[in-house]
Amino acid sequence: MIQLEAIQRRYISDEVETTALSDINLKVAEGEFVAIMGPSGCGKSTLLNTLGTVDRPSSGRYMFAGRDLANLDEGALAQFRAETLGFVFQSFNLIDELTIQENVELGLAYRRSGGGDRKARVAAAMDRVGISHRARHFPHQLSGGQQQRAAIARAIVGEPKLILADEPTGNLDTENGQQVMDILTSLNAEGATIVMVTHSPSHADIARRRIDMLDGRIVSSVARAI
Amino acid sequence: MIRLSLIGFLRSLTRHKLYSALNIGGLAVGIAVFLVLGLYVRFETSYEKWIPGANNVWEVETNMVGSVFDGRFLEQTPVAAWSAINRDLPGTVGTRIQEIQATVIQHGIGVRENFAMVDPDFFRVFPLPVLDGKVDGILSDPTQIVVTQRVAMKYFRTASPIGKSITLSYDGAQHAYKIAAVIADMPPNTDFDFDLIGRFVITEDKTNPLYVSQHQWDYGGGQTFIRTMNDEAAARLSSELPGVVTRHAAGETPNNDGFKIALRLQRLTDLHFEAPGSKLMVTTLGIVGVLTLLLAIVNYVNLASARAGLRAREVAMRKVLGASRQALVRHYLIEAVATAAVAAVLGLATAEAGLPLVNAAGGLTLSIRYVGADGVLLPLALLVLVAGILAGAYPALMLSRFPAAAVLASARSPGGGRTGTRVREVLVIFQFAVAIAFLVGTMVLVAQTMHARSTDIGFNRSNLLVVSSLTNSNLTDSQRDSLLHRMAGLPGVMSVAASNTVPGGGMVTSSSNFPIPGMSGPGPSIQYFEATPGYFSTVGVRLLAGRLFDLAHPGDLNPNVLQGHGPGDSLPANVVLNESAARALHYPSPEAAIGKTFGKDSPRTVIGVVADMRYQSLRVPVPPMLFTFVERDPKYENGVIRFTGDPKAMLNAVQEAWREEAPEVPFEANTAQQALDVYYKRDDHTARLFSIGAVLAVLIGCVGLWGLASFNTARRVKEIGIRKTLGASSTDVVKLLVGQFLRPVLIANIFAWPLAYVAMSKWLAGFDDRIALSPLYFIAATLLALTIALVTVIAQSLRAARATPAWALRHE
Repeated sequence: MIQLEAIQRRYISDEVETTALSDINLKVAEGEFVAIMGPSGCGKSTLLNTLGTVDRPSSGRYMFAGRDLANLDEGALAQFRAETLGFVFQSFNLIDELTIQENVELGLAYRRSGGGDRKARVAAAMDRVGISHRARHFPHQLSGGQQQRAAIARAIVGEPKLILADEPTGNLDTENGQQVMDILTSLNAEGATIVMVTHSPSHADIARRRIDMLDGRIVSSVARAI
Repeated sequence: MIRLSLIGFLRSLTRHKLYSALNIGGLAVGIAVFLVLGLYVRFETSYEKWIPGANNVWEVETNMVGSVFDGRFLEQTPVAAWSAINRDLPGTVGTRIQEIQATVIQHGIGVRENFAMVDPDFFRVFPLPVLDGKVDGILSDPTQIVVTQRVAMKYFRTASPIGKSITLSYDGAQHAYKIAAVIADMPPNTDFDFDLIGRFVITEDKTNPLYVSQHQWDYGGGQTFIRTMNDEAAARLSSELPGVVTRHAAGETPNNDGFKIALRLQRLTDLHFEAPGSKLMVTTLGIVGVLTLLLAIVNYVNLASARAGLRAREVAMRKVLGASRQALVRHYLIEAVATAAVAAVLGLATAEAGLPLVNAAGGLTLSIRYVGADGVLLPLALLVLVAGILAGAYPALMLSRFPAAAVLASARSPGGGRTGTRVREVLVIFQFAVAIAFLVGTMVLVAQTMHARSTDIGFNRSNLLVVSSLTNSNLTDSQRDSLLHRMAGLPGVMSVAASNTVPGGGMVTSSSNFPIPGMSGPGPSIQYFEATPGYFSTVGVRLLAGRLFDLAHPGDLNPNVLQGHGPGDSLPANVVLNESAARALHYPSPEAAIGKTFGKDSPRTVIGVVADMRYQSLRVPVPPMLFTFVERDPKYENGVIRFTGDPKAMLNAVQEAWREEAPEVPFEANTAQQALDVYYKRDDHTARLFSIGAVLAVLIGCVGLWGLASFNTARRVKEIGIRKTLGASSTDVVKLLVGQFLRPVLIANIFAWPLAYVAMSKWLAGFDDRIALSPLYFIAATLLALTIALVTVIAQSLRAARATPAWALRHE
């Protein structure tokens, strides 16, 4: 489903050039659960942002379901994200002025295509992650685990083809972290493709394949024996 | 999507109370000032537009070529002018309006009313709203009269007194009329001020004293108005006027060789701004309103863009969720428009609450109408849209530009970069440039109005009473003599005199050209007046050279008047000149004029030169004046009384004496200062309105500066901790923080000073007697602005500077 070819990402500021990604070649099959690990600054989040089209590579090719995304302008990329992707972040990134229900609804707000009954889909997503009873609360009224579950609901409400999770358990305790991983696992079991960045080896072990990165390069890619 | 945008906006109002209060409050004040001053401008520009077809009504104006008024077109036209136009251009629809003060006697007491004597086509030129009766053709009958509703209720206690009689006293006689119609009272936005309308009767009897003034062109009359079909017809009529003048003026003006006159048409709706400085005043206040609103919008832009970084994560998430840049721009514009809408509601309430104060300060009667042709709701809705888009555009563009990846990766919210900081600094410079210019303007306006009250106007304006009702033609000679005698005997009265020129007006203007010996040409035009014994000392005029009139010098009395002629007739006479007349006659100094004779056919010998008496507006130059000496001129004299003690008590005493001597003649008197106030009033009101607008504009600027300072200081707490750890003192830190905001205020002066200089020079150029545009005003305004800025930011800077380094370093 996903194919990255010779992806480079360089940042140039004043007199300093930093290479965040160097010659990345990666394929992710539909329904796969991939974990990306590596030390701080190795380019994990940059790779995830590239996959999520939130960041544009300096060179290389990104094919998604056979479609070259390099040709898409900003507006088309935004639509692509709205229709195809779901994001989960370490710091949840819920909008403080909106209730949990409204935050989840935001996951459908930017789609141009009709989405059937929006209310029902929001309710189903909240139900899926067990957060319905907090629908009318605001993010600051929820625990970290509940906020992350709400963020997952927002990510999946549009039934995205690809879920990108950037250290989804990084700000959670063990129990909540495990709950989040359980949700991701069950989503993957239902066929969702997931790419997850994590610092936790135990969480990485839940994924079907583990990719290690160092200094902007993929140094290993190991599939877990099932 | 819009629903979610508005929900988020409404909740953010309560979540960020201070910021919301600053933003909405600032915008509300800006909108309120814009609204009120907009109402003022609309009112002032609406004069006479309430008259149906007002655009096709024209006033005929006169330029007396070669006279003291040469170069100015005056609204008074000779009575003969319309007679000539009517004869030469039949079918022209027009009317004269001669306004006089007539007396209605009720229960033995005379009440003054303004009476307009007009021609039969008056109601064709001015189709005023008729409430009762009919006006068609009624003015053909000189015994018919039309009254306003106010007069109908006042004298008849009914809105329908059709057929009832009313007697008016004027020109020394009583005139009986029958009421034929009632019209609506004149609205506030008109310069027409009469409540009774009757027929203007032209006499053909050459023995009638009015004949000469009604048939000769060198006598001023009232106003003349003409209605045309359209502008083309007006242009055609205008081109015919020189021919009318050529055919009639000289021939109908005997004994006035070289008399020249020019006529022109002036649109009725442009007349209100003919008074010197009036258009500039209205334009200035309109600009104040627009600039104040602009300052409020700049505030919003500054605060919103400063705080944009705090919303960077939200923006990044929206982008991640698929929001395009356009969608984000739309979202934040909706927020800005919603903010403007809330501010507009508050601004409307503020304007409504503040209107009584503004009306009192500006001498106005403004009110807010919400719906209808004059309604504010629709224009306000448009303003909300425009202001919201203007205010929200830059913050929306800025917010939508945040790179999602960088924001999500960073622990710290972005500050907008150097560009953002520079833009905000430019906006603060703009705000304070306008604020400093406003401060300079306020100081200059207030100084000029104070100058008007205290400047040397050539006579002593304190404790001087002017009794203008002495000119009432219904007073008999014996009543006049008795009144002057009684007034002179009142306790506190030091002296009493009379003249046809007094402070505040009363100027029945006659002027002639006086040739200068040894020079060709008709000579300068000089206005001539009469003064009775004690006039100059009563008024307190300053003598510059020679002496004043004295009964001990029998030759001083004007022999023309003694022999029953007009005062300007050809017998030689002693005169006192004012300074301007001495200059106009080319005397090198007042002393050099003493003993000199000028005027070929009417020789006048100068016995004294007095300082220019500024009896009217400071805007108009004092004309050249000469005085001849009379014992009493019964027709035009106003009384002047020099007194000691309380002015109110003196007025009451004079009024009491009047009521006993002539109760059927309305009493009119006021102090010289009150009489002059009529001219100063308008400038006073403008200065007050300008000051209110300026103070609020400065307040808006301070609100914005405070918000910016608060935000910027909070962002720099960690930096302050680092600096203090490295050895900076609290004073060093305060200097750093305060300097950040004082710099743009200082830079603002580069723009403010030239702007204020040009604006105030233009304003002051409208005054003949004006203050100098001293650099002190500019320096004072700058110091004041710096002080205000310092006071605004110092408290937060001190608080931040006193924080312990450890706490500051932990702060994120």
